[in-house]
Order: sequence, then structure tokens, then C-alpha cells
Amino acid sequence: MSHLRLLVPYLQRYRRRLLLGLLVAALGAAISALGPLVLRIAVDEIAAGTIDLARLFWFGGALIGLALIDGTMKFAQRMLIAVTSYRIENDLRADLFDRLLSLDQAFYQQNYTGDLMARMTNDLSAARQFLGPGLNGAATALLTFISATVLMVFVDWFLALIVVLLLPMATIVFIAIGSRMRQIFHRVQDQFGVLSTRAQENFSGIRTIKAFAQEEDEIAVFTADNERYRDLNLRYVLLSGALWPAMTLCLGLIAALILLVGGRMVAAGELTIGELVQFNAYLALLAFPMIMLGWMVNLYQQATASLQRINEIFLRQPAIASPTVPQQPARQGAVEFRNVGARANTTDHRWILQDVSFHLPAGKTLAIVGATGAGKTTLVNLLGRVRDPDVGQVLIDGVDARELDLAALRRMIGYVPQESFLFSIPLRENIGFGVATIDPDRLNHVIEVSRLVNDLDQFPGGLETMVGERGVTLSGGQKQRVAIARALMRDPQILILDDALSSVDTHTAAQILSGLRAEMAHRTTIIIAQRIATVRDADQIIVLDEGRIVEQGSHQDLLARNGRYAAMYRRELLAAELEREESD
Amino acid sequence: MAHGFDDDTILGKAYDGRLVRRLAGYVTPYWGRLSIAVILLIGAILTDLLPPLLVQRAIDGPISAGAVDGIWPYFVAFLGTLLANFLFRYSHSYFINSVGQQVMKDLRVAIFRHIQHMSLSFFNRNPVGRLITRITNDVDALNEFLTQGVVMIVADLLTLIGIIVVMFALNWRLALISIATLPALSLIVAIYQRFMRAAYRLVRQRLARINAFLSEQISGILVTQLFNSEDRSRVTFARLSDDYMQANIRSVLIFAIFIPSVNLLAAIGTAALLWGGGNGVLAGWASLGMLAAFIQYLERAFQPIRNLAERYTVLQSAMASAERIFAVLDTEAEVRDPEQPRRLPTPVRGEIELQNVVFGYNPAEPVLRGISLRIPAGQSVAIVGATGAGKSSLVGLLARFYDVQAGSITLDGIDIRELSQAELRRHIAAVPQDPVCFSGTIASNIRLHNAAISDEQVRAAAELVGAHRFIEQLPGGYNHEVRERGANLSIGQRQLLAFARAIAFNPEVLLILDEATSSVDTETEALIQEALARLMRNRTSIIIAHRLSTIRHVDRIIVLHKGRVVEDGSHDELLARRGYYYRLYQLQFAEVN
Repeated sequence: MSHLRLLVPYLQRYRRRLLLGLLVAALGAAISALGPLVLRIAVDEIAAGTIDLARLFWFGGALIGLALIDGTMKFAQRMLIAVTSYRIENDLRADLFDRLLSLDQAFYQQNYTGDLMARMTNDLSAARQFLGPGLNGAATALLTFISATVLMVFVDWFLALIVVLLLPMATIVFIAIGSRMRQIFHRVQDQFGVLSTRAQENFSGIRTIKAFAQEEDEIAVFTADNERYRDLNLRYVLLSGALWPAMTLCLGLIAALILLVGGRMVAAGELTIGELVQFNAYLALLAFPMIMLGWMVNLYQQATASLQRINEIFLRQPAIASPTVPQQPARQGAVEFRNVGARANTTDHRWILQDVSFHLPAGKTLAIVGATGAGKTTLVNLLGRVRDPDVGQVLIDGVDARELDLAALRRMIGYVPQESFLFSIPLRENIGFGVATIDPDRLNHVIEVSRLVNDLDQFPGGLETMVGERGVTLSGGQKQRVAIARALMRDPQILILDDALSSVDTHTAAQILSGLRAEMAHRTTIIIAQRIATVRDADQIIVLDEGRIVEQGSHQDLLARNGRYAAMYRRELLAAELEREESD
Repeated sequence: MAHGFDDDTILGKAYDGRLVRRLAGYVTPYWGRLSIAVILLIGAILTDLLPPLLVQRAIDGPISAGAVDGIWPYFVAFLGTLLANFLFRYSHSYFINSVGQQVMKDLRVAIFRHIQHMSLSFFNRNPVGRLITRITNDVDALNEFLTQGVVMIVADLLTLIGIIVVMFALNWRLALISIATLPALSLIVAIYQRFMRAAYRLVRQRLARINAFLSEQISGILVTQLFNSEDRSRVTFARLSDDYMQANIRSVLIFAIFIPSVNLLAAIGTAALLWGGGNGVLAGWASLGMLAAFIQYLERAFQPIRNLAERYTVLQSAMASAERIFAVLDTEAEVRDPEQPRRLPTPVRGEIELQNVVFGYNPAEPVLRGISLRIPAGQSVAIVGATGAGKSSLVGLLARFYDVQAGSITLDGIDIRELSQAELRRHIAAVPQDPVCFSGTIASNIRLHNAAISDEQVRAAAELVGAHRFIEQLPGGYNHEVRERGANLSIGQRQLLAFARAIAFNPEVLLILDEATSSVDTETEALIQEALARLMRNRTSIIIAHRLSTIRHVDRIIVLHKGRVVEDGSHDELLARRGYYYRLYQLQFAEVN
């Protein structure tokens, strides 16, 4: 209920159009209620035999005239109310997207992509239907009902009572069946989700399915899901199939009663035949609006549920945002961690990082090594405030990252993630992503350094080639090289490479590394890597284990310490020596 | 639904005999229920025609005659008609939908089964979203075709004919006046449909664009945020959303013109009836009851005409969907099981021989250009070479994801094309390049659907590859929920799971590792190396790895270069040769020192 309040500012923005729309609707309703009146007078005059051709013509003209005015009103009503509902939907969608852009990773980990998209499309559409056809229909129904009731009471109050009391029955039956339908429909939808997720996962992982000869088992599971979906659908049909026949039955019942009661009154001379026709005409006039009224209740229920889901996004405040009085970063690139600790997430309180402290002067290189799940990616995520630490401080040029202007902080950082994500835009725009104007010299330079230049002749349109489903599919190594070029293109003060060469072959990796050295010379660099060869030249090396720094120092320091790093080094050396010995 | 927005444009014809006959094949098993549905529908149409007639009889009979109690029989008949109509309609809906749902289920499973047996090249050509659309939206369109399409078109036509027949039987003059409006209505409806179809197509296309953009934006939100690209996204989205709104407003405009036009036409029809009927009553060739009945029949004649136009769209989209579905069903798998598959001799030894194997994803550009190899049972082989040398293709051929273009591959002397794929793959465990995870639990990701793999075996496999340590730390351990695509696991963890899966299936003969160890850290990899050494014992094994240290346990190394075997021998032999392998080795060694 309270979620409807979400709409108030939007409704206010368009209040003039909406009020005008209601006014037009009222006029239309009053006009359309006059039609049956004309019909009655005409029929009564025909019955009495007092009519001539000219007058008949006049009555017909009046019917057509009324329809013309009514049609104009209905047209204006739709153009005012329905169009406004689309404008409000559009405004809401823009605001929602704005919020999505500012929300943090914790939010995106809690919500599935498909679910968020459903909120941006289906739920908004439900809210819009409530505003458009819903309000439109409700206004028409109520106003027509009132004006027709007034005119019917004038004719005969008893017959009017039958219509006025029984017609809402159609509305109530519609609401009752409709809301039951919605409950089952949700379950049908959920099962549909299960079905398409199953197919999606199967098709995406078909190589694995085939490699393990799981096809028949997959078909069996899919068939079972389908049977469940069919059964739920049939339960839904049992209700939905009753809806319109029940409406016909309700309205028919009233028509039959009018025939019986009204007919007896006409036979007894208490009512004219024209008045009987008039009542029948009102019934026809009111039938659809009264059903719309029932539909309106369903729309309202759907809209409140949808608005709640939309509101959940609006109420979610970004956990990562610029402070109210932000400081501008010094743009040197010095990084310091002070007793930093980070938990897995709000529900899982295990520590991913604990007591992490180090100081990295501007322009220096830090390497991080450690086992899978040791917290390496979490550590670098704290720099660009992908998340914030739960305890301790991350300082950039001596200022807590949380006190800096967020956009300015991120502009300092060039990040190459573990999994390279590219957008379906031309290659050039992917490389220049987030850069206001692409400098051609810089572009050529980063293509050179990332060794993307090796692949350029494979892309049909060169740098203008579209990436993604509508364009070329890049290999894992090519994606990583684009991601490296993209990070360098920003000319960042801080460069972060999160296992950035894992999908690149040894030869190309060596080429990229040698090119990167020059780029790293004047930038603060943080490298996550698995190989000693990549990290040994770093000014500082950190060994992480289960979220804690277990060793810290230069390559030589750590070797002298003879701890875990030295063991790693020996293991690699041994591997190489083994190969050499074997070859001797 | 979050997927499959592409190519859903509705174009082309509304009836295609060839497609309809094929579709009929899926319906015939349920012809009994279908004929009941049709009979019930005819009952519904007939009972629909009666009420105005009863009104006419009542008005012209007892009401005009002043017989107060003479109206009762008409009232009772009216009620009976209503009840019968309700029952006919309701049971029709149940029967027709039960056929529709059954046919949909059959079709979905048939398509899924067919896709399951497609070769990998099929999946390379068809994006997942498109295949999902076939199984969901396209099948739904066919259900509409059955429940709202064919049957209802006949129903609409019968209703229209019924009304016209009754009208002429009652009074031919008034009937002529009434049907005079129908051609005009048909014209209005036809014009409206034309505009509306175009408008809806625009709406759908623009919604699809919004969906595609949103899906990508949500997946890549971190990149957008870290690269300060929010404004760019905002502007693009505002444009897409605005386009969508404009398309919608266009459809509102068309509708806002259409509805009043139909109402106006109804008013013209009523006015004409009033004029003609009034004349008739005065002249004595019509009655008041007839006038009342005709006004009601006119209204009822409008509905089927409006319906027919909508059904046309249903038919069109169903034909387009059927075309697309049959295109999938008609695609033959490139890799097929033989009619009478041979069986491998037991016990399987695992000797592999490649003779002059030629293969390319595009036949004109072979990736493998004539490879001959003999791998004796139990030998472990590493394949090295630069990216694009054909290593992955070779593995794809061995698992028979693809078939050779020329030459042959034999397992224990039998051409693998003479075996069933299931039989072949029971003896081959492959760890693919992308570690794939499915939603479910850690345990279900290791054993997949194979119930024969016990909890102990799952655990043993995880321990063997060193995955046990991280699994135990997860809440719920082996029952920890894995989200879609393993989103809540790191790449390293997913790779360890993929290893554990391969080991749990305990391939009797062959283990294929396809560059799978590249994202695991030194320590974890050391664990895996140990496990591999144990696994490779007594198994024919083929390993592909970037790093030479991972292959030091193998008996033999094969160097591929541009689709040919350039070097073949033991580590020592190849180093002594000072060729391609030697250079690769030097590079690796130089890195370490």
C-alpha cells in the first residue's frame, strides 16, 4: 500500500494532464449514458405509433451525434491518461537505472541479473498498467455507473436496484477468480524460470554434459520439469477458463432478471417497452466497465507488489558513495593499508582479510602472491572502493579513500580484472572506455604495449570491429589484452593487474610484461600473479594466506627469510632444474 | 524473462500447409480430447445465439399481450441457455488447453532432446539465447496457434454465420440493414491491424534493445563504475528508453482512434436499425421484439470480426515460430552415432592411433593438416605449441566433439566413429578449458546426475585434487549452494571442482586436460600436479598445458605447430634436438632465473 506513495511525485509532475483527463472522462461518461435514453423515447414513440420518418431520422442522428462526442472524449482521455502513464514509466525507468548505476557489488551479488531486469521491465510495466488502463478504466466505469444509475432511478427504482445491486457481482467474481489466478500464475512463472534456467545452464555447459555423457540424464530432468510446468499450467487453466464464461453468466443472469421483472411490469402496464429496452441498453453499456473495475483491482494488487519490488531498489542506499564533503585526491598514487580487515559479506562473517598493513610509495610496485581464496582480489578491490574495509583504513596519498571524491579516486585507477568484461561496442570504444577523448597516439601506444597489435589483422573492421554477440567473439587471451589496453588508456596513477596474463600464452605474456615495465616505471602498480617470474622485480612483495599477510618484503628479503615465498621460489626453481637435469 | 529477444519479428504468411501438417503430427495423439473440445465449442456457439431470440419472443408474445405470468417460461429457458453456455465454454477451455499443454510439453522435450544430441559446432553457431527462445517463446506461440488460432477461427466464422442465418430467418429486411455495417467494420479492423502490427513490432524491437543493453550493463556494472562511465550509460539508456516510450505512445494513438471508430460504427448501425425497424413496425413488416433482438445481434456480430483480425496475427507468429523450430529439428547432428555401434573390447586398453587426421572448423581453413600418431596404452603424452597450433582441436576430435575431415582416429583399433558417443565418453574424462559449474550443490557439481558416484567417492575425488580444503570452509561444505554458472566461486575453485568431477567419473582409459591449470596458484597447482601423477599411472593420458613444469611427468611430448606435428619424443630427446620445444623451454627457464 505505502509503496504506491512512490508514484506521488511522478503523478504530481503530470497533474495537469491527469486532471484534464479525468474531466474529459466524466464528460464522456455523462454523454454515453444519454444514448439509451434516446433509444427509449424512440421505441416508445414507435410502440405508440406516433412517430413519423422525419422524427425517426432525428433520433438516429442523435444516436450518431452522441457517439461522435463520446468518441472524441474517449480519444482525448486515452491521449491524456494513457500517454502520461508511459511518460511516468519512462521517468521511473530512468531513475531506477540511475540508482542501479550507483549501487555497489554487495547489491549485485545479492540479486540475480534476470531479477533486476524483470524489475526494470515487467514490474515497471505493471505499475504503468495500473496508471494507464487501470485508472482510465476505473474512471470510465465509476462515472458511467453513476450517471447511468441516476438515469435508471428516474425510470424505475426497483428495476434500477436490480441492476445496481447485481452488476457489482460481476466485478466481485472477476476479482475473486483473478486473484486466485494470480497466485497460481506466480507458481507457473517460477516453474518457467526453473525450466529456462535449466536449459540455459545445459546449453552453456554442453561441453561438460557431453564430455561426461550426461545427455540422457539431462533430458530426463528437463522432461520432469516440463511435466511439472504442464500440470501447473493446467491448474491455472481450470481457473482462467472459468473467468470469461462466468462474466457472461453473471451479465446474462441480470439480463434474464430484467426480462422477467421488467417484462412483467410492461405486461402489467407499469413500464413502457421503451423503458425495458433502455434498461437492457444500460446493461450493455455498463457490462464492460464493471469488468474493467474488477480488472482494476487485480492491476492494483499487481502494481503494489511490483512497486514494492521497485521500491526495494530505490530504498537501497549505495554502500559506496562520495562523502558529502569530498576531498580531492593529490593524484600521486601513494597507497597505504592500516590494519585493514574485511568480512565475506553481511551474512557470512568470516574474515577474508585481517590485519593487513603496508605502505606503497607513489610510483612503486607491489606484488601479491597467495593461494586461491587467500583474499588477493578482495585486497585490490578496496583501492577503487569496489567495497570498503570493515575495519582499518585504506589511504590514498595519505587520505582515507572513503573521504575522497569517488569519481576522482576511480579516475586515478586503471584496473585489469581477473575476468575481462568487454561491452558490445566497437573495439576502439572498449579500449577508450571511460576516457573523454581518445588520443590516437595514446591509443596506438596501448595497443602496442598490450600486444593487441598482434591480433588486429584478425578483426575484419580493425579497431572499429564490434565486440560481442553481434560482432566478433574474442578469445580469452584477446579479451585480457583489450582489458590491459583499456586500463592503460586512462593513463592511471595506480595500475592494478589482477592475474591479468592467465589466458595469454607464455611467449605473448613475456612480450606484454616487457612492454608493461616501462608503463609501470612511473605508476604505482599492484600485481597479483601466480608466478615468481612476474613478481620478483616488484619493490615489495606480500604473501597472503587466509586473509593475513604472512610475509612481506623485497624478493631478496623474502628469500633470506626462508619462509613460504622462498618455498614457492624453490618449488619453481626445482621444476626448472628438474627439467634441466632430465635434459642433461 | 531475461533471455531471447532476438529475431522475433513477425513477418510472412499466416498459413503454410507444409508446416501445419508437421504440427498436426504432434496433435494427432490427442485427437480424442481435441474432438471433444470442438463439439463443446459448437454447443457454446449455438447457446450463444439463443438469448436475443428469447427476448424477441418474450416481447412480441406475453409482454405485448399483457400476459404477466407468460414470461416465466422464457425466463427459465434463458437461465437454462446461460447455464449450458457456461458449461460448454468452461469445459471447452479445459479440453483444448489440456491438449495444448500436452503438445507443448512434447514439443519442448523433443527440441531439447534434439539439441542435446547436436554437435559442438551447432552450439558455436547458435548463441544460447536463441536456443532458449526456441524452447520458450516459439513453443508458446504454437500453443496460442492451437488454443487461440485454428479452433477459434472456425468458431468465429461459425458464430458470424450463425448470427447472419438467425437474422435472416427473423426478418430479411432488418438483416440486410444490419449486415450493411459489417464490410465497413472489416475495413476499419483491417486498417487498424496493419498499423497496430507495425506499431507492436516497433515496441518489441525497442524493448529487446533495452533488455540487451540492461543485461550487459548489469553484468559489467563494475567496469562501468571503475572506469567512470556512468554518464555514458545513462545517456544511452535514456535514449533507448525514450525510443521505447515513443513506440508505445504510437500504439496508444492507434488504439485511441480505433475504439471510438468502432463505437461510432455501432451507433450508425443502431441508428439504421431504429430507422428501418421503426419504419417496419409502422408498416407492419417488423415487430418491437425484433428491433430489440436485432440491436443485440448487431453487437454480437461485431466481436467475431474483431477477433478474426487478431487471430491472423496469432497465425502469422505461429508460422514463423514453427519455421524456426523445425529449422532446429531439421538440423542434423554432424557427429552422429552409427546405426549399429560397435563395442569396445573389454577390458579397454586405451591405445590411440591417429592416421593422417585433417580437421578445420571451417573446412577451407584446416587447423590440423595431416596428423599421424600412435599412443600406446598407458602412455602419458603432453601436447605443446603456441595458441592456434591446433591443440584444443586435437582434444575435441579425441572426445569426438567434432569429426575428422579426413583420416581416422582409432581407440583400441576401432574407429571412434563406429562407437556410440556415450560408450566412447564413458572412457574419457575431459576437463574443458572453461571450468563450468551448474546451479546445485558442490557435491552435485562433482557427480552431476550420476547417482552411482557415492558421497565418499565425491569426497575422495575432491581430496585427490586438493579441493577438499576450500570446500570444507564453505558454509554447508559439500552441500554448499553453487549459484548459476558458479558465480559464488572463484575461477580457481571452479577449476578444482572441474578436476574433481573428472576424477570422480574415474575414466578407465583416458584423461584429457585442456589448458585447465592456467588460473590456479603455485601452491594449489603443486597439489594438482601430485594428483595428476597418481592419476596418469596406468592410464593413457593426454595433457595440454601452457607451462612446461606441469608436463614434466609425461612419457612423451608432441609439439604442434600450425596444425602439424613438428617434434615428437621424450623431454630429453626434444631438448637435445634444440628445436621448437627447446626454445619454449628456454623461455620458461629464463623467466624463473
